[in-house]
Amino acid sequence: MQAEDNNIKANKERIVAFPQMGNIRIPVAAVLKAMGANLYLSPDNNKEALSLGTRHSTETVCLPYKLNLGNYIQALEGGANVLLMFSAPGTCRLGNYAKMAEAKLKELGYEFEFIVFDMYKGKFVEIVKKFSQATGNKSIPNAIKGIKLGLAKFDALDEIERKLFYLRPREIESGTAEKIYLSGRHSIDRADTVEEVKNAIQSTLDKYNSVKIDNNKEILKVHLMGEFFVLLDPFTNMNIEKELGLLGVEVERTIMLSDWTNQTLVPKWNKKTETHRQRAVRTAKKYLTRAVGGECIETVGDAVYAAECNVDGVVHVGPFNCIPEIVSQCILPNVSKQENIPVISLLMDEQTGKAGMITRIEAFVDLIRRQRKVRKTRIIQRKTMKNSLKTHSRVRIASR
Amino acid sequence: MKIGIPRALGYYNYYPFWFGFFGSLGLEIVLSDKTTKKLVSDGSALVVSETCLPVKIYMGHVLNLLEKKGVDIIYSPSIQSIDHKIYNCSKLRGLPDLVRNVVKKDFLLIEPTLDKSEKNQGLYQYLYESVAPLGITDKKAIKKASKVGWAYQNNFTGMTRDGMHPIEAMETAIKGKVVIKSRKNNYPINIAVLAHGYNLYDNHVSMNIFKKLENLGVKAHVSESLSTEQMNEGLKVLNTNLYWANELEISGAAGSFMTNKNIDGILTLTAFGCGPDSLMVERITRYAKRLQKPLLNLTVDEHTGEAGFITRIEAFTDMLYRKKRANIVQNLNKQIKIDSDRQEVVYSRDTIVKV
Repeated sequence: MQAEDNNIKANKERIVAFPQMGNIRIPVAAVLKAMGANLYLSPDNNKEALSLGTRHSTETVCLPYKLNLGNYIQALEGGANVLLMFSAPGTCRLGNYAKMAEAKLKELGYEFEFIVFDMYKGKFVEIVKKFSQATGNKSIPNAIKGIKLGLAKFDALDEIERKLFYLRPREIESGTAEKIYLSGRHSIDRADTVEEVKNAIQSTLDKYNSVKIDNNKEILKVHLMGEFFVLLDPFTNMNIEKELGLLGVEVERTIMLSDWTNQTLVPKWNKKTETHRQRAVRTAKKYLTRAVGGECIETVGDAVYAAECNVDGVVHVGPFNCIPEIVSQCILPNVSKQENIPVISLLMDEQTGKAGMITRIEAFVDLIRRQRKVRKTRIIQRKTMKNSLKTHSRVRIASR
Repeated sequence: MKIGIPRALGYYNYYPFWFGFFGSLGLEIVLSDKTTKKLVSDGSALVVSETCLPVKIYMGHVLNLLEKKGVDIIYSPSIQSIDHKIYNCSKLRGLPDLVRNVVKKDFLLIEPTLDKSEKNQGLYQYLYESVAPLGITDKKAIKKASKVGWAYQNNFTGMTRDGMHPIEAMETAIKGKVVIKSRKNNYPINIAVLAHGYNLYDNHVSMNIFKKLENLGVKAHVSESLSTEQMNEGLKVLNTNLYWANELEISGAAGSFMTNKNIDGILTLTAFGCGPDSLMVERITRYAKRLQKPLLNLTVDEHTGEAGFITRIEAFTDMLYRKKRANIVQNLNKQIKIDSDRQEVVYSRDTIVKV
């Protein structure tokens, strides 16, 4: 009895925090809550976190690390004492970040427990184990329930976000779809069971149906690809999806949260369709024959895939000084030339200004819009040429 | 058949091996010219500006081989990992892919992959891929040639461990000789210079740093003079594990030199935008503070001016001299004090006796 009491006491004192990346807070918080953890929910990534992180890290480290560190400092100041972090081998500098952040925070004088999700070992088992360690949870049914709820939320968020990408450029009164999306996200966040999540999706989709759209508007389609963190974190990519949407561009993001969780968590033998990575390896073959870490091969493969899909252009984002993305940035011009698809690379760091970025996007959108027109007129010209040739030959034959 | 090897990146570590290996298979090696300013700017024009200096230089060397040397076969290996899950930096892993996409000329690119994390991508597969595009597929001959290569490489390593400058050692090893000189250390200051071989021994990048240090009366120690065991011990000093394929020559060597009392200071030379180095140097800086070793970090890119470079090295060595002098004076003072204390004791005894 006493031991149990102690256990509960220890649990009560443990306050768990994890780094922020776009929507990931909702499902991860759900898993942790279901396992009985006390959470410190740090705010979405913001300028303060960035400047805190930048102050305490070396200048050439990439943006995701700086933001993570900022999140940790904010969380520790807010009373958290258990920090979560992912670490994976063979990718890029990410594998070093857990240790680096821990050393830095200890140096700053904070006391905390640091739990690293070490992807060197198993994947699913490791995740359950580490979540249990973080929360002090011992019941496996609880853990499985929590993870199920988390996965359902991952899928739900993606579903309503995909629809938002479709509606945003088409809506007549700009901003209505966004409002619906935000309220939908909020209700998904509050849902406690898988059922409630499903209901939240349904009601959001119903609301989406009431959005008035302009069916005659000419919509450009663009694939958004690049580095994982920047792609998924709207603060870091300066809400590029929204900016593109407002310019009348439908965005398809090549990495959605649920794709990623399915890819990493589902065991290999249970995968039925081609995963994102497999597709990328297949399509990138002409340009990149080996995986070089990070999302490099995905970026190159996706660019080729985008050309196959006949979209109007490709927007490539990544953090400044990201090693794999530099490689893909060097390769992309060649892809663009050979596959005949416009590509723009935007690398973000703490100095990037929003105005400059928007100018570049606008110029890019203008260019691809023009190219589309040129293509269309060319097709029309070709058709008329063919027709005139046909009539010409007929005339000739007749004159003979 | 002529095979072109760029005088950059892997050249500085593995050239003796390649020399022996290709030579014994009857292939002629053509090296590119030494790095010049024009070569760097030619190379940088091909890749995006964020790319690190060594890769830009590599592209310059590839261009040099194709344009000036009349070679149409380029050997550009991809060293993915050197041990289970110990990977290289992305740019080195995808080096042949970069060359293929960036250099728009007609040539045969030989792109073998060494990946020890995969099952079938070990050394012999790597060597097989190195010569198979040239029509050499006899596995026995390749094995034999690899042994010849290792003989050259071992001679080279032996001489560098002994303390010979790696470029000199390379030249000697290629001649098939092993020279072990007796060395006396008459230098007042000893500095460990830590950098990847391709930065340190490329005189254009490192701006002849060895000569500059020599002129200042400084003996430069490099990681090539350490054994792998020493460098592994060094990693433990820094409380870290091997993560990058070329981490030993920086972090490992730093740990080893930091615990060495004969080393007065540490100088690291990194290329701007080098991902792995930025992390290693941060760790080294932290531990240098703890272990109280003076540390100077120099970052170079294609715009670095020589004057600023010299000034910083001079200032650093001046400080080391001053520290050393202060230490000596302090020790002398202590000694004098101890001696005088003893004398007092002796006097007091004498007086006691007299009384």
